[in-house]
Order: sequence, then structure tokens, then C-alpha cells
Amino acid sequence: MQQPAPPRRNGLSSLVLDASSAVLRLERWLILGLMALLMALILVNVATRYTGMPIYWIDEAAVYSVVWLTFVGGSAMTRLRMDFAVTLLTDKLGAGAARIFKLTAGGGVLVFGLAMLWMCWIWMDPVGIARAGFDAKEFAGTSFNFLYTERTQTLNWPTWLLQTILPIFAFTLSLHAAANLVEDLGWQPKRRHAGFPVSDAEAVVN
Amino acid sequence: MLTSLFFLAVMFIGVPIGICLCLAGMFYIWDSGNPLLFQSFPMQMFGGVDSYGLIAIPLFILIGEIMNGGGITRRLVELSMAFIGSVKGGLAYVNILANALVSSIIGSATAQVAIMSQVMVPQMEKQGYDKTFAAGLTVYGGMLGPIIPPSVMFVVYSVLAQVAVGDMLIAGILPGILLTVLFFVLIALMGLVYEYPRSERRTLRQRARSVAVCSPTLLIPIVIVGSILSGLANPTEAAAVGAVASALVGRYVTKEFRFSQIPEMLVRSGIYSAIVLFLVAAAAVFSWILIFGKVPQATAAWVQTVAKDPVTFMLLSNVILLVIGTVIDGIPGLIMTVPILLPIATEVYGIDPRHFGVVVVVNLVLGLMSPPVGLSFFVAAAVTGAKPGKMFIVTLPFFLVCCVALVLLSIFPWLSLGLLK
Amino acid sequence: QTKEFRIGLITPAGHSWNRAAVAFGETLKKETGGRLSATVFHSGQLGNESAMMQQLQSGALDMGWIQAAELGSRVATVAAINAPYLVRSTAAVAQLVKTPAALKLLEVLPRETGCIGLGWGITGMRSVFSTKDLASSADLKGLKLRINPTPVYRDFYQSMGAAPTPIPTPQVFDAMANGQVDALEADIEFSWNARFDKVSKVILQMNALFMPFAPLVSGRVWASLPDKDKELIREQVAKSLDAQIAEIAGTEPGLLAKFKETGIAMKAEPAANVEASIKAFDAIWLPKAPAIAELRTAGAKL
Ligand code: NA
Ligand code: NA
Repeated sequence: MQQPAPPRRNGLSSLVLDASSAVLRLERWLILGLMALLMALILVNVATRYTGMPIYWIDEAAVYSVVWLTFVGGSAMTRLRMDFAVTLLTDKLGAGAARIFKLTAGGGVLVFGLAMLWMCWIWMDPVGIARAGFDAKEFAGTSFNFLYTERTQTLNWPTWLLQTILPIFAFTLSLHAAANLVEDLGWQPKRRHAGFPVSDAEAVVN
Repeated sequence: MLTSLFFLAVMFIGVPIGICLCLAGMFYIWDSGNPLLFQSFPMQMFGGVDSYGLIAIPLFILIGEIMNGGGITRRLVELSMAFIGSVKGGLAYVNILANALVSSIIGSATAQVAIMSQVMVPQMEKQGYDKTFAAGLTVYGGMLGPIIPPSVMFVVYSVLAQVAVGDMLIAGILPGILLTVLFFVLIALMGLVYEYPRSERRTLRQRARSVAVCSPTLLIPIVIVGSILSGLANPTEAAAVGAVASALVGRYVTKEFRFSQIPEMLVRSGIYSAIVLFLVAAAAVFSWILIFGKVPQATAAWVQTVAKDPVTFMLLSNVILLVIGTVIDGIPGLIMTVPILLPIATEVYGIDPRHFGVVVVVNLVLGLMSPPVGLSFFVAAAVTGAKPGKMFIVTLPFFLVCCVALVLLSIFPWLSLGLLK
Repeated sequence: QTKEFRIGLITPAGHSWNRAAVAFGETLKKETGGRLSATVFHSGQLGNESAMMQQLQSGALDMGWIQAAELGSRVATVAAINAPYLVRSTAAVAQLVKTPAALKLLEVLPRETGCIGLGWGITGMRSVFSTKDLASSADLKGLKLRINPTPVYRDFYQSMGAAPTPIPTPQVFDAMANGQVDALEADIEFSWNARFDKVSKVILQMNALFMPFAPLVSGRVWASLPDKDKELIREQVAKSLDAQIAEIAGTEPGLLAKFKETGIAMKAEPAANVEASIKAFDAIWLPKAPAIAELRTAGAKL
């Protein structure tokens, strides 16, 4: 292993880590809130249905809290390095090659995050909808993109509102991937994250 | 072809599996020259987890967290110990028996592995078992989760195949018992070779005391089953009701649970759920692209030219599913293969769809415990700190026994359909 | 140039909609000597209907056979086809969907959804399966009724005093067995496949609602086709829809007879209740979907 360089307190790299930590704290609260919301929705559903007053939109709300949980948690676990990876090969390599593999793998995550941002961009087309004066119908007419005209089945919420989790996920994932790279490059010391289950990446991978 | 090479390359570099699936999907779109699919990519990921059935995952993991925090799973295990008594490899049998009991509450293998490895592995380690073996054994015990009812996978299958949900769940009972018995036999045989620790000797009175002390924890499975049978809740909701029951039993009966632990447990189960759910989303987008590229269809056409009779077809399906199971897990695997293979099974070979369902589900569950993407091993590893690769090698006999069970289930339809007639 | 159409559906392989889609692909191939062909992706392999719509709009998917509920949730006027009591039998449904009034509903689809609608296919009339005794819709009052969660259906059953309860399709059978819901509503083909008679006491034939589907073509793909091919596709789709409609109308009496053989009680909604139901429903929906009036007129003539 190479010696980590002394931390550059005011550098861009420190800024990336600070931003990532702030996002992670927010994600912790969101995960907590979404899990609590899910429990509450399901229990209320059980109670109201049993008493003969079922609430029509609860199932859909529960499904969407799980969808949000997936992507908020998916972003957080990237920073926590809790995701599953195969290091069958990297374990057999020397320190130098292993470092290159680790950086490449980290780069792969960043590439996906940025690609996801780009795919969300062409899908949600923020410039297009703005140019149409935020008139969903007019935008759909010219672009064949009907995203902003859709509503969910029983909640009757705009679908795009719920789907904003995808660009948010793409952004926070990219930020966390960059933060991981900053640490792996040795530009900054590794940070600890309070309030999360402790799981060392090395214990998760094989 | 190029895509699978790309997938293998990024995977062995060490990119997280979920991201590998996404990157491979993007690579395929780029390679196939249909860039329009990029625009549908994010939404397809969203759609992959936009499903009621998946709600069960965070709830099942949460109930496990609370059961452990309240010392409840431990008491269920102690109950199993009281039944097994003092024999060589006693805790190994207890592990399997307790897993079979817990399976009647939990419908997902990974959730069960997460829970049971928290409880069983430290105990087995304390008695002198090798940690890797203990964790690996728990992984195979957890396999019973989606086979003994309730089972999320059977529910998903019954939707895809349009067969009655109740039929599918009943069809899982005999295969679950078969696997339990085979695991027992294997432990006994392995005990001839390895020196397994003997479980502590207990008098009949001690055992009776265990039963008396531990019985109140049986309230939780009773509440769960009762809430389903009484029509209060469906199996998914019953997990939420069960979580409340475990919190109350943990707080007021075992007195090991504090309500102040709840936020921390919600965060932890939320994160563990997200690990699984994100894989489901990634697998959904990957299989969508494979289906768009007609990869499964090509496979099906080839199968028909090779297999001449139902048994050959079943065995061939098993090989294909095992291969698919190595990279794609449970529910996404079902979604990808059932629509392709089932029509061939029923229309060309006259196989009962419920029989086929049991074989497919057992096979894909086995995929959860085969490298390189053996989700169950990773979950057990995350909880216990044992190495997944080593775990697989140490418990290889269990994998082989599962393959034997799979062949038996494929050849003898009555193992699946017997209780239905 | 050769072109292979990808067709997406949510129904499973053996379903009558799928067989119609496959038949369409086969005749298309034969007619063009292999120049045009179709591959059917069933069981929602390409995603749920909402995801398929998005792929149709971007042009990634060529065709999708989409339920009226999905279209109606996007365009209120199309929901008119789901309105209750447009006709009172499956045989009449088979005729209604071919009338100009029904086909006119599809005209807004290009502008509102970016897809071209090529006609209607059908499922049979929906019945209520109940664990409680029912003689008519009056007995639905206070019952927990599992429904297809489309707004039209919700308002219809709510007007009868039922408590519409959404239960995910895979759990419907168990929900009935355990008493989470007291009743469900579904078409006869699906109900026979799911064997809802095993968890019910009574079948109440409402003869009010049916769920048609429309074969859609991506607007972008359609624009790229020569007129001669568009004509051919319209022709072949119409032919396969005709066969599908005839099949549903033809097999339903046989399935009803099978239900009768199981010994389950079979009731029919008395005609006396119909007027009041129509009035309650139209008060809500006529302003949102004025085409209902025209469809009722067309239905009355059949
Ligand atoms: Na189970
Ligand atoms: Na695997």
C-alpha cells in the first residue's frame, strides 16, 4: 500500500468528502423516515381494512416508499462500501496491481453514476420542458415524451415527481463514488460514518 | 457474447455486482445500435422495484432485526435444542431444524440468512465449530425460507404462470421436508469424517424448563400465522404485524428490547434491504435488455432441438437455470426465465406448471448459493465476517446434496404434487 | 427493407390476447413473404404497461397491446369504454367495440399518448365472486371488494356502497380465502384460470363492465412506415382482433357452464337496479368523458 498523502484541508478533494458526508447524513434520515413510513402505511392499511374502511391509495404509497428506499439506500451503501463485489482476482494480485484494480473499479462506479445522470437528462429533458413553458402537453406534442402528463394510478400524483429519485440517485451516487475515489487515491484520509451499521468492504467481498 | 465478456471483465475488476449489471446493460445497448433504449433505462430500473411483492423484503429484514434485538430468535433456537438433545453435531442439526421453523415465518432466503447467521453462527463458533462451516451451513438452512411456505418466490411464480397461489405454496411443503431430511442425513454422514462438537447434555427437567421459558416467544409465529388465517393481513402485512408483536414480546416478555433501539434498527434494516433491492433493480434492467436482444428466446429454441423427452428437458432446464442462477438472483431470474421456459414445458412436454414451478424455484434458490453472485453467501459474509468463497468450498457437499434433491424433484412430480391430490 | 416488429403484452403466453398477437405476426410474415414479421414479448417481459408505453413513445418498442385501463388513466375520454352498462352481454361487447363510436375513442391517442390505436380486442363481462351471500348489487353494501384499480371501476362500485380494496393480483386468491376481502370482480376467462370458485360462495353476474385492450403502434415507428405497409398492418391486426373477439364470445358460455358444474350459486344482477346505477355513475363521469353518451346510444342499438 502507498502512504496516503497529507490531507489538503482546503482542496477540492476535501470539499467532495464534505459534500458526500452531508448527503450521507441526509440519506440516513431519509432511510429512517422511509422505513417508518412503510411500517405506518402497512399497519394503517391492516387496521382500516379490518374495520371495513380500506384506504384506496395505501398499497401504492407503500410500494413507492420501497422504491425510494432502494435508491436512497443504494446511494448510501456505495459510500459505506457495503455493496457486493467480486475480488477473487484482485486478492491474488500484488499491492500495485490491486491498487490499480481498485481505482478502476471505483472509476467504474463513477462512470455509471455519470452515465445514469446523462440518461436521466435525455429522458426527463429539463431544457425541453422549460422551453415548452412547463406545459406538459405542448412538450409531449413536440417531443413524443409524455413523462410530465402521467399520474400514478391510485395516489394520482404526477409520476415524474416520484421518479425524480432517479436523477437524485444518479447525482448522489456520482458524488459518493468521487468521494470513495478521493480516499482510494490517498488524497484524503478515510472517513468514518456515524449512525450506520459497521461493515468493512473487505468482509463483504470474497 | 461481447456483453458477457464485458460483464465478466468489470466483475473481476471488482466493480460492485449491481453496477456491473447496469454497465453491462448499457454496453449491450451501445453494441446493439439501438440507442433509443438509453432513454428507457432509468425508468426500467424504477419499474424493476415498483412491485408490491418486494415490500416484503424490508419488512422481513426488520422483523428479523427486532426478533434478534429482543432475544427472540435465540429462544426459538433454544427450543430446537431442547428437541434435538445431546448428539454429535447437535448444533448443526439445531441450525437446520431452527431454519425450517423460521422458514414457516419468513418468505425470503436472504432475509432468513441474515437473521439466522446472526443467531446461529456465534453460538456454533462458541461450541467449537469452524466459523466458515457454521456460516455456510446457515446459508443452506436459509434455502428453506423460500421453499417452505410462505414464499415470495412462489407467489411471483404463480403470477407469471397463472396458477393458484395456494397450490404453489402447498407444493413447496414436501420439497422443504425432503431438503431438511437430506441435510440431516448429510450432517450425520459428515459426522463420520469430521469431529463435530457434541451438544451439551441436558436432563429432561432442563429441557422442560427450556420449553417453558422459550414458549412465550412462539407468540410471534402464532400472531403472524393467526393474522393471516383470521383475514387480518396478507403474508406481507403479517410481517409488519409480526414486527410489532416481536417488539412487544421483546420489551415486556424477554425484556431485552428497548424502544429507543427502534431508529437504529430501522436504519440498519433499511440499508440491508437496499442492498438486495438495488440488485433487483439492476437485474431487472439487465434482463430487460437481454429479453430485448432475444437472448432467452434463442436459448429456448436451442433447448427444443436438444431435448426429446420431458425428463431430458427438465434436466437441461436445470443446467440452464443453474448457469443463469450464477449471475442473476431469485425473483429477477424467475421473471427472465419462466415466461420463456414454461410454455415449452407445458405445451411441448406436457409438464404440470406447478411441478415445473417447484423445480425452477428450488433451482434459482440454489443459484443464490452458487458463485460468483451467490447473494446468500454475501449476506452471511456481511453478517459474520466469514469469506464467501471459502464458505462455498467448505459446504460443497451441501451444494451437491441440493443438486441431488433437484434431480429427484425433476424426475418425480409427486414430490411437488402429492399433497395437492 | 425487412422489419421485425417487437410486440409487448402483459398477459401470459397462452392467453387469448397473446395468441392473437402471435397470429398477427404469422399472417404478416406470410403476406409479405418474410419482409415484415413480429416477435411477441408476453407476461410483461418488457415491463409493465406504463413502462411499455414509455418505450412505445420513445420508439424503442414497435407495438404494445395495452389495456383500456392504462389508456383511460392517461386520457379520461378513453375511459368511456370502461363505463358500466354500455351493453349487457359479452356477445354485445363483441359488436360494440367495432362500432364507429368505440373506434372514434382511439383518435385522440396519437396526440395524447404518441401511439396509434389499431382497434379494440376484448375480455368478457366481469362478474363479482363473493364469500358472502349476494342476490344483487344491493348486497354489495359494506363489502370489501377487490377491484381492478382503475378510477371508473372504483366509482362504479363505490356508488353501490362497496368498499373498493386494492389487493395485488398475485394475492387475490389468498385474500379471498383468508377473508381480507369479501368479494372480487374479474372476467370469466381469468376467474376460471385462477379458480376463484374455490374461494367463493356466489358468482354475481353483473353484466356491467368489461376490459378491452387496444393494439398500439409507436407513433415514431408508424411515421417511418410506407403507406402500403400501414394498410397491410391495419388489415392483419383487424383480422386477428376479429378472431380474438369471436373466440372470447364463443368460449364464455362453456366456462360459465363449467362454473355451474362446480355447484357454486350463480346469480344475475336484476335489470331493475341498472337505471339507478347508470344515473349515479354518469353524474360523475359524463362531464369527464362525454363519449359515454354516444357509446350508450350505440350500445342500445345492438
Ligand atoms: Na418460508
Ligand atoms: Na449465484
